[in-house]
Amino acid sequence: MTAPITPPLVRMQSLHKSYGPAMQVLKGLDIEMQPGERLVVIGPSGGGKSTLLRVMMGLEKIDRGSITFGGKPYISSDGLDKKTNIDTEVRRSIGMVFQHYTLFPHLNVVENLILAPCKVRKERKSDATERAVGLLTRFGLAAKAKAYPAQLSGGQKQRVAIARALMLDPKLMLFDEVTSALDPELVAEVEQVILQLAAQKMPMMIVTHDMWFAKNIASRVIFCAGGVVVEDGPPEQVLGSPKEERTRDFIDRVFHIRQ
Amino acid sequence: MALDFSIILRFQDALLLGLWMTLKLTLICVILGCTLGFLVGLARTSRSVMLRTISGVYVDFFRGTPVLIQLFWIFFCLPLILGIELSNLASGVIALTLYMGAITSETFRASLKSVGPEQLDACIALGLPRRIQVTNVILPQAVLRAIPTLLSNCVSLFKESALVSAVGMADLMFVGQNISNNTAQPVEVLTIVALIYFIIAFPLTRAVSLIERRILAKLAI
Ligand SMILES: Nc1ncnc2c1ncn2[C@@H]1O[C@H](COP(=O)(O)OP(=O)(O)O)[C@@H](O)[C@H]1O
Ligand SMILES: [Mg+2]
Repeated sequence: MTAPITPPLVRMQSLHKSYGPAMQVLKGLDIEMQPGERLVVIGPSGGGKSTLLRVMMGLEKIDRGSITFGGKPYISSDGLDKKTNIDTEVRRSIGMVFQHYTLFPHLNVVENLILAPCKVRKERKSDATERAVGLLTRFGLAAKAKAYPAQLSGGQKQRVAIARALMLDPKLMLFDEVTSALDPELVAEVEQVILQLAAQKMPMMIVTHDMWFAKNIASRVIFCAGGVVVEDGPPEQVLGSPKEERTRDFIDRVFHIRQ
Repeated sequence: MALDFSIILRFQDALLLGLWMTLKLTLICVILGCTLGFLVGLARTSRSVMLRTISGVYVDFFRGTPVLIQLFWIFFCLPLILGIELSNLASGVIALTLYMGAITSETFRASLKSVGPEQLDACIALGLPRRIQVTNVILPQAVLRAIPTLLSNCVSLFKESALVSAVGMADLMFVGQNISNNTAQPVEVLTIVALIYFIIAFPLTRAVSLIERRILAKLAI
């Protein structure tokens, strides 16, 4: 029996990114992600993890390299002129949640959720609201539908941010340390929501420093340092018994425990 | 010397007429000036170098020179340049609108800048087109944040408008000065005039801090 040939969901090739000449952050990344994979990216602070996700979201220009998404060209730059080509149509199929709260403070929770569906996809307000309430109910936030972001806890804000991204039916979700600004007791409620999504086979790229979460969510782990991929493999390997010295050092230092 | 405040009763009508002129002038210039300031604030944050330069020169000029000189200039030089007679009210409106526009443009510019880059990141991640980013995300937040300072700007304008008396406009200050000259009771008359200004300005300044707290509470995320 031959498996059907599906293109990788994401293929990054020779990704280079710098912030000015003295700050080379991504130095030629090659990462492939298969449909259904949940990629956890770990690595030292300042190693370029956020930059990687921001590039993937189309928020940053690149110096050189390319990304395809579902087999289609998404981002490319040939390194000659300073231009980065981003296919905004492809970008719409990617959602992102940030470390810092990025809800729109002047809109209530439902308005936050339906803004993009109504304005981008021209969905009817009543339809979008119905879907929004459905999602909020699923995330235990039905009572907060009319609340403003300032009236929510950090954990609630991040769950709303996740729901807001899901309103656009993304084919890939990016999570950049979405629990690191939270009080410890609020971390679990956000991670549970992401685990719920994982159970529904949502492809995702996750940057986290939470060992427990990394282990439970990852189908694959990448250790990034110095702008390159140092180690790439299943979670048991990269988190449990890393092959590379640098990965071992990092995991010992950051997670303290290793199985 | 005994102070006699009963003169207010004799000149009640004149004072009310003057107050009406002051209020009318302030109100017109608040509306026109805020509109101008909003547009200039946008121009100052625009990508066009020319728009930024022109608006920058305008704001610097009107913030850096005394309002009194601006008034004299508009009242006496502008008609010469334009070759037409302007009514007192028209001249006053033009002068104070230009002044108010310069002041409020700074308010709008600061509030536009206070909408952080992470809000734009969120907009892009949601695929919002540029026009929607501006009209539905940036401007509403910027305007909300501008409201307390704008109110302060309005109170300032209300008080600064007394300067138009120097170019012969019959506002509250002008009427007050006239009465005080004619009655030789400057202490009583000017105290009363000051009280009238205060009674109107004070609740507004109080409202500013109240609204400020409300808005901050709402926008703090
Ligand atoms: N907008 C920027 N301008 C200049 N330097 C930046 C910018 N964003 C990030 N950097 C730098 O790039 C490096 C990588 O940052 P980042 O991708 O945030 O790393 P990580 O998320 O792994 O901690 C850091 O040294 C950081 O200071
Ligand atoms: Mg980071």
